[in-house]
Amino acid sequence: MKYLSIILTVAAIAFSARAGGLNIVTTTSDLGSIAAAVAGDHAKVESICTGKEDPHHLQARPKYIMMARNADLWIRTGMELEIGWEMPVIDGSRNSNIRPGQPGHLDASTNIEKLDIPDAGTISRALGDVHAQGNPHYLTDPLNARLVARDIAERLAQLDPANAEAYRANAAAFQQRIDERIPEWTRAMAAFENQSIVTYHKSWIYFAKRFGMPIAIELEPKPGVPPSPAHLNQVVQTVQQQKIGVILQEPWYSKKPAQLVAGKTGARIVVAPIATGGDPAATDYFSLIDLIIQRLGGK
Amino acid sequence: MKSFIVPALAATGLFANTYADDTSLTAFNPAVSVIVDTVYYGENSSEGMSHLKEEMSGFGHVHADGEEHHHGFEEGFNMRHLELQFSAEVDSYFKASAIAAISEDGAEMETAEIETTCLPWGLQARAGKFFSDFGYINARHSHEWDFTDQPLIYELALGSHGLNEKGAQLSWLAPTPFYLLLGAEVFQGENEKLFTAVETDELPAHDGPGLGVGWIKFSPTLPGNHACQMGLFGAAGRHQEEHDGNGDGTADHWLDGYNAFWGGDAVYKYNSSRPYGQGDLTVQAEYLFRRTDLTVEQHDLLPALVGSDKVNEQDGFYLQGTYGFMPRWRGGLRLDMVGLTNSEQAPDGTDSSYGESWRSSAMVDFSPSEFSRIRFQVSNGDYETEDGTQNVWEGFIQLVVSLGAHGAHKF
Repeated sequence: MKYLSIILTVAAIAFSARAGGLNIVTTTSDLGSIAAAVAGDHAKVESICTGKEDPHHLQARPKYIMMARNADLWIRTGMELEIGWEMPVIDGSRNSNIRPGQPGHLDASTNIEKLDIPDAGTISRALGDVHAQGNPHYLTDPLNARLVARDIAERLAQLDPANAEAYRANAAAFQQRIDERIPEWTRAMAAFENQSIVTYHKSWIYFAKRFGMPIAIELEPKPGVPPSPAHLNQVVQTVQQQKIGVILQEPWYSKKPAQLVAGKTGARIVVAPIATGGDPAATDYFSLIDLIIQRLGGK
Repeated sequence: MKSFIVPALAATGLFANTYADDTSLTAFNPAVSVIVDTVYYGENSSEGMSHLKEEMSGFGHVHADGEEHHHGFEEGFNMRHLELQFSAEVDSYFKASAIAAISEDGAEMETAEIETTCLPWGLQARAGKFFSDFGYINARHSHEWDFTDQPLIYELALGSHGLNEKGAQLSWLAPTPFYLLLGAEVFQGENEKLFTAVETDELPAHDGPGLGVGWIKFSPTLPGNHACQMGLFGAAGRHQEEHDGNGDGTADHWLDGYNAFWGGDAVYKYNSSRPYGQGDLTVQAEYLFRRTDLTVEQHDLLPALVGSDKVNEQDGFYLQGTYGFMPRWRGGLRLDMVGLTNSEQAPDGTDSSYGESWRSSAMVDFSPSEFSRIRFQVSNGDYETEDGTQNVWEGFIQLVVSLGAHGAHKF
């Protein structure tokens, strides 16, 4: 009888935690935006990154442990983007439902067509901060966001079968919005077709591939290594040779290297957020892509 | 029919074993990483820093079994560590990790721990040999420290390895709206300075475990990129010592009793949004008070002292800060003080009170990547010894690299 009452109490606590629907915690804010669109009113979505920080370099803070503690679903970008802080947060939360491999843990990169997968024979840390599984900045391609929405809906349907149809319908609506916007975005990006640009970090390759905009060179000599004077000279030469007009970078990087290159070449510096929340105007996934394209277009 | 199926299944099993894909086997290998930690060290004391630290008033002469255990730096090149780390999820119930510290003299097991991943209600249990989670810096490996050497109070009170023992831990993340973590630990009691059993006929034999530790960590949720954590801790356990009072090379008196320490820790971190650590700020401080309370069990030279008490009380703190002043570059300052309380009541009834020692340190380090770091550190201290105060300068150049699996660090 005593055990029964303990079990009932625990069940009541567990149930009350879920009474307001599922708790979803995403590592990055762009995942959070997609998850919120898919979950609708059936879940509360919180994101660890606000879009203002470089997700490579967060620290596993107690606040994140508090967010993870009551999560029913943890969604990560994967491909080692969060490797510096994810497991201390999950371990610290003592929430066994969201450990890798559990239904409450979704790696959003699972079904993505990955780019920049280094050759297993030559991969080395001498290449900089390369990720063995490929470049993790795949959400800059709206068609990848479309795929991730479906994966989130399927996982939510598994965790909360009662609302499965709602999740699938929300994901379908999200996908339809993407499909509607793609032609417009493609038109706006037509000016960049086969017009190379420079980026700070190798974080825009999925976006560039989607819209047919080649990236000639990065300001970082190697991923994760800050620009050096010798490398910036090489960038200046590349910009001059290929008549490149735009240097694209995230808000958290220093503008000095780009200003140096721009000063010598006349290229325009474009600072655009790469995740939702990285700019007051990037309130959700659609306004994020809108803003990136507007900024590239010089608006 | 049944007899037909069984050999067929057996055949598939055999096939699977013989022709298993290589990658399916390596996929379950634990994550492996190697830390190489080298230090170039110089100082200007007359007799050597490790020796001087053992002569410090109030802190010296707590050596348990007469074993000379210099773990300090030697002048010139030091190969501090080659740490070989393994870690993996064991199954859906446990994760485990082990660290072998390899030196030129051989290998020793630094840690080998098993931790639950499946307990409900915010509980987590751990067993094996591991660093106690009390305070802030104790559970951190030397390559994670912001300065090359450890805080003075830690080294003097607990020895160069900190509190790292065989035992078990239970911790609980309380279901409060703020972060509150409580932990209880039971250890065998083998710390070289504070908690040891000496195996000798002159002292009573005590079965382990001989040490209990409790701690609490609290973190209010701060806005933006600010974070902080505060903690309180305490520990108490059995301790035994044997001493050579007349210096003839053999032990002549033996003590048995209880030691304890308690204190608090606080850390504040600002994580700037900028890459390469630029603008990141960390300020941390810890205070530790220790009391040793021993009774003379046997005294070959002065038998009248048997049954009388020897009580020591010492304390100390450190306060340090680091700031990322340029991409990949950090600078840091640290102040150490020990012996703010520094008293000794000898078995013969004499009470002594000693002065305090302090040390200040400055460091600059450069991390070309997340996997390498070079650090330059200078320390200057006034150390209170029986022969008066000694001022010593120390200099360190440290190079640490990490090979293999990309580890994550906790807060």
